Amino acid sequence: MKTLLKSLLAIIILANFSCGSSTTEQTFDSSKLRRASQDEIDKIVEDFILAEDSTTITIPEGFYALQTQLILDNKKHIMIKGAGMDKTVLSFRGLKSGGEGVKIVGNDIRVEDLSIEDAPGDGLKAQHSDGITFRRINVTWTNGDKSKNGTYAIYPVQCKNVVIDECIASHSKDAGIYVGQSENIVVKNSLAFGNVAGIEIENCDNAEVFGNVARDNSGGILVFNLPGLPKSDGKNTKIYNNEVRDNNHTNFAIPLSQDPNGNTVTMIPPGSGIVLLAAKDVEIYNNRILRNKTTGVAIASYQVTGFPANAPNWSPYTTGIYLHDNTYERKKLSFPDFSKELGKLVAIYNAHGFGKAQDIVYDGIWDEKISSTIDSNPMRICISEQMEGLRFTRFYLMDGQDNLTSFKDHEKFQNCTVQVDTNVGSLALIQ
Amino acid sequence: MLALAMVSCQKSEEKTPPPPTSRALAPEDATGLFPYRRLSTYGFFEGEIKELTPTDEVLPYAPASSLFTDYAWKSRFIYFPEGEKASLTDDEIAFPIGTVLIKNFYYPSDFRNPDKGRRIIETRLMIHEEKGWQAYPYIWNEEQTDAILKIVGGEMEVKYKDYSGKDQIINYIVPNKNQCKSCHNQNESLAPIGVQVKHLNNTFDYGKAKENQLVYWTAAEKLEGFEGPESYPSLINYEDKNQALAERAMAYLDINCAHCHRAEGPASTSGLFLTFDQTDKMKLGVNKPPVAAGKGAGSFKYDVVPGKPDESILIYRMNSTEVGIAMPELGRTTIHQEGVDLIREWISQLEKK
Repeated sequence: MKTLLKSLLAIIILANFSCGSSTTEQTFDSSKLRRASQDEIDKIVEDFILAEDSTTITIPEGFYALQTQLILDNKKHIMIKGAGMDKTVLSFRGLKSGGEGVKIVGNDIRVEDLSIEDAPGDGLKAQHSDGITFRRINVTWTNGDKSKNGTYAIYPVQCKNVVIDECIASHSKDAGIYVGQSENIVVKNSLAFGNVAGIEIENCDNAEVFGNVARDNSGGILVFNLPGLPKSDGKNTKIYNNEVRDNNHTNFAIPLSQDPNGNTVTMIPPGSGIVLLAAKDVEIYNNRILRNKTTGVAIASYQVTGFPANAPNWSPYTTGIYLHDNTYERKKLSFPDFSKELGKLVAIYNAHGFGKAQDIVYDGIWDEKISSTIDSNPMRICISEQMEGLRFTRFYLMDGQDNLTSFKDHEKFQNCTVQVDTNVGSLALIQ
Repeated sequence: MLALAMVSCQKSEEKTPPPPTSRALAPEDATGLFPYRRLSTYGFFEGEIKELTPTDEVLPYAPASSLFTDYAWKSRFIYFPEGEKASLTDDEIAFPIGTVLIKNFYYPSDFRNPDKGRRIIETRLMIHEEKGWQAYPYIWNEEQTDAILKIVGGEMEVKYKDYSGKDQIINYIVPNKNQCKSCHNQNESLAPIGVQVKHLNNTFDYGKAKENQLVYWTAAEKLEGFEGPESYPSLINYEDKNQALAERAMAYLDINCAHCHRAEGPASTSGLFLTFDQTDKMKLGVNKPPVAAGKGAGSFKYDVVPGKPDESILIYRMNSTEVGIAMPELGRTTIHQEGVDLIREWISQLEKK
C-alpha cells in the first residue's frame, strides 16, 4: 500500500510540472466485497420506506447494487448504520431516475459507517432536517473518467444542527462536502480529496470547519454566498486546525476546452487553498495551508464572477474576514494555474512578479457607498499573520481590465480583528 | 358497496407482497385497514377491473394540463367518503379523511386507435389518512386482472405505436413509495398535485354532460365553499394551440416543474420558481446562474437566456435523458419533444435585454 501511495504521489508530482494533476485514488477496493442478493437489496429499500420513528436501520456488510433511490421520509430519531466504510457499500451506478442516491428528511437522524458510490447526481443528501449527523460516511465515484462523476458527495441543504464527522468525500464534480443554506454546522475530522471543491459552506449561518484534511482538490475549503436563494446571505464561519494542502487538481467540473458555465465552481483555479466569495464574518486560524500552487487564501467579491450581482437581502462583497496564526508554505518549482481567468489574474498581475504563487490574495473590491477609498479598510479584511516571507497581493479591479493594478500593501489590513461568534459549541461535542 | 368507511394503516411489520405474478396472491378481505395488497379489494371499479369503469361513488377528473410521464395515458378518479365533503377556502381544497385519488397509467397499443386495446401499467393511490396523505403504487399483472401493491417500485418494458404509427419501446419505471414525495411535496408533507383549484377549475366531459369540475362536485354535494369559476385561477391546457404562447408555456412549467420548483417544494434550494403566476424574472431563471446543477448546467451560464433557447439550461435539461442532467428527475426516461418545442418557442420570443 505504501509503495502504491508513493508511486501515486510521484505521478501527481510529475503531473504538476505540466498543467494540473488528477487522481482517481480510492481508500479501499469495493469490488472485493460480497455482492448482496436482490432480496437483500429490496429489504434495504423497504427498510427505508417502512422505517418507524426511533428505530435503527442496519445495513450488513456487502456491496448493494441499487436500482432505485433510498429515501427516508420525514422520520424522527433514526439511526442508519452500516458495518463500516469499507464493509457496507451502497452503489448507485444502476440508478435510472432520481436526483440523489440516498435522501434524508427528518429530525434527529444519524447515518454511520457506510460508503456510497457512483450516484449519478448527489451521493448523500439531507434536506429540511433538524439534527443530522453523518459519521464515518465515505462518498465517492469510481469512474476512471471523472467527467462522469456526480455533483456533491455529502450534501446537507436547508438543514439545522448538522454534524459531519470523520467522513471521506472524494472525486465529486462540484464539492465533496457541501453544506448549503443551513444553520449551525460542524464539519470536523473529515477528509476531502480529488474533488473540484473539497469542503464548501454556502449561504450558511454559524459553521465551524476544523480538524479536516482538504487535499488534492482544485480548491480546498470554500465559503460562498450566492444570490437569489431562499436563504440569502450567510454569516459566521470559523475555519481552524485544518490541513489544506496540495489542492492542485485539474478543475474537471467542465471539460478543459470549455469556458466556465454558470456553476461558480467551474471558475475555481486549480491550486486554491481557501476561497472566500461574498463571504461574511469568517475567521481562519491555525490552519496549515501548504503547497497550493496558485494561492493559499483568496478573498473575493462576487463581482469577479461576472454574473449579475444584484439580489434582495444579499451583498456581493466579502466582509468581516479575520486571518491569523496560519502556517503557509508555497509550492516550489511550480507555476500558478493558467487554465482559469482567476488563475491567470494571479499568475500575471500579482504584485510580486510574473508567475509567482501567492499566499494571500484579495481582489480589493469594496463598496464605494461605505468609503471612497480602500485605505480605511471598509470591508474589514483583517490579516494578522507573520507577513515576513509571505506573498500578499491586493488587486485593483474596479476599473476593469484597463487599469488593472496590484499592491503588496498588507499593512492596510493589519492591526484589526473581527469577532466571529458561531455558537455551535454543543454540536461540536456530539458523539 | 365500498369498504372504505374506516381508514387506518396496516402495521408496518407486515411484509410487502412479492412481485405480481399470474398466480398472484391469496384472496384478500376488505378490512378497512389500508393499504390493501390488491387494487381490486378497494372495489373502486365495477365489472371487469381492466375496463376501469368507476362505481357511482367514484368520480372521474382531470387537470387542465398533465404532467409528462413518458407518453403514458392517464385516467384519474376521486373517491369521497360517504357523506363527507371537501371544502374550499383561499384557493385551497381541503379533502376529508378517507378521500382516495386513483390514478391509472396505461398505454394504448396504438395511439391512433386508443379503443383497440391497451396495457395498464400501474395505479397510484393517494389516500388521505389520519396522519396525512399516503401514496401507494400498484403494479398491474400481465392478464390485467388486478394490480398488486409494490412499495419498492419496479421497471418494465412497454411497447406501443405512436400517433405517426411508429413502434415505440419505453423502459417504464414505477417509482418506489418514497420517491412519490419527490414530486408530491409541500413543506415536506405529501400533497396531491392535480386536485388543486387552478388545475380543476375547467370543463370536463362526464359523458352525459360537459361541466366545470368544481361546479359538478358542488352539485354532487362533494364540495363546499366554491363561489363560481370566475372567482378562482384557472390554468389552461398547454396543448391548446389557440391559447397565448406565454400562457401555454407557464401552464407547462407549472404542471411539469413547479411541484418541486416553488418556495414550498424540494427544489426551493435552486431559487428557480416556476409556478404559473411567477413574474419575478430572476426566479423564472432569466439570466440566473444555477446553484447546484453540476453537470446539469452543461456548457451554459444561465437557466433562461431570452431569445436563446439553445443557451438555456432549462432546455438543455428538458432535452436530456441522462440521469443527473434530465429534468424532471423522476417520471420520464424519454424526451417530451412537444414540451421542449413549446418552451423553446417561448424562450425564443422572450425579450432580450
